[in-house]
Amino acid sequence: MIGADTPVGAALVDAWTAATVVAMAAVTYLTRIGGYLALRNRRLGPRAVAVMEAAPGCVLIAVIAPDFVSGRPADLLALAITVLAASRWPMLPTVLIGIASAGVLRHLWG
Amino acid sequence: MSDASPCIDAAALDDAPARRGEFRRGLSAAVPVMLGFVPFALVLGAQAAQKGLSALEVPLMTGLNFGGGSEFAAVELWTSPPHLALIAAMTALINSRHLLMGAALAPWLQRLPLRKTLPALFFMCDESWALGLADARRHRRFSLRYYLGVSAGLYLVWIGCTALGAWLGPRLGDVRAYGFDMAFAAVFLVLLRGMWKGWSAAVPWLASLIAAAATYLLVPGAWYVAAGAAAGLAVAAWRAERAA
Repeated sequence: MIGADTPVGAALVDAWTAATVVAMAAVTYLTRIGGYLALRNRRLGPRAVAVMEAAPGCVLIAVIAPDFVSGRPADLLALAITVLAASRWPMLPTVLIGIASAGVLRHLWG
Repeated sequence: MSDASPCIDAAALDDAPARRGEFRRGLSAAVPVMLGFVPFALVLGAQAAQKGLSALEVPLMTGLNFGGGSEFAAVELWTSPPHLALIAAMTALINSRHLLMGAALAPWLQRLPLRKTLPALFFMCDESWALGLADARRHRRFSLRYYLGVSAGLYLVWIGCTALGAWLGPRLGDVRAYGFDMAFAAVFLVLLRGMWKGWSAAVPWLASLIAAAATYLLVPGAWYVAAGAAAGLAVAAWRAERAA
């Protein structure tokens, strides 16, 4: 996997790089198991259940929120087309429509 | 509301047809997402290579961490040698949403032992989590094999293509110009439609969207996901309080 233009020394794994990567991995894994371990043996009350039911949608929409406020008209129009597609079609066609509309509109609009 | 007790009727569905097909079903459900992963993984690998990470260190990071957002941030912040504490703190902030995601998944995992759930959760990213949860809600039962099928596809594409990107390096152009970034919005929007239970139930989502967008515009860094989710949950809690 070593490219022609990669210096020979860079092929090795640097110790401090490895330590940073391991720290990232440990932190990330703790976030992955933390919420599960905290709620694993709990019975939630009705209010907590209502909150947890809203949680997945809240996380998903927050992750893509920057797309809704991008200042570029081509991106906003492509997002609107993608929202329409998502409201009626399954995953694969929607993804293809989203990619195509963003690619074409950005090309036309510059 | 019956979502809260997913294991009651799970026994009745234990003989669900073709458990062996579950892994493959997950793998094929992941294909559209894998398509969206490819260009981002290539870009991440190329950017990491430009920051001095080797073609071995890149898949080491993406394979052990497996969280795209935190990896882009880490590469952005990367120096030689890297600031370990800064990068770990940013990783914690960006991936804090996993805490909520794991909590939402917990009721569905009650029948599974820790020796299965703890390794499985290593592969929990936005997309594997959302697909697994949506599938569980649809079938009233969490299918570990389906989730692992989704995860295997996403994981291999992510590791393979980030390594490839590091190897190709600057020979890659700007893949964002081709519109591939819209794949993520498309995937998430389809998943949101699957969770749709009417406008009233979507009010917390709207709160999350507004708070996240405002935070994204006003606050530098990755706070917008946490801010949006917190606002959405606060609205959900307030509405539940009023309804009680």
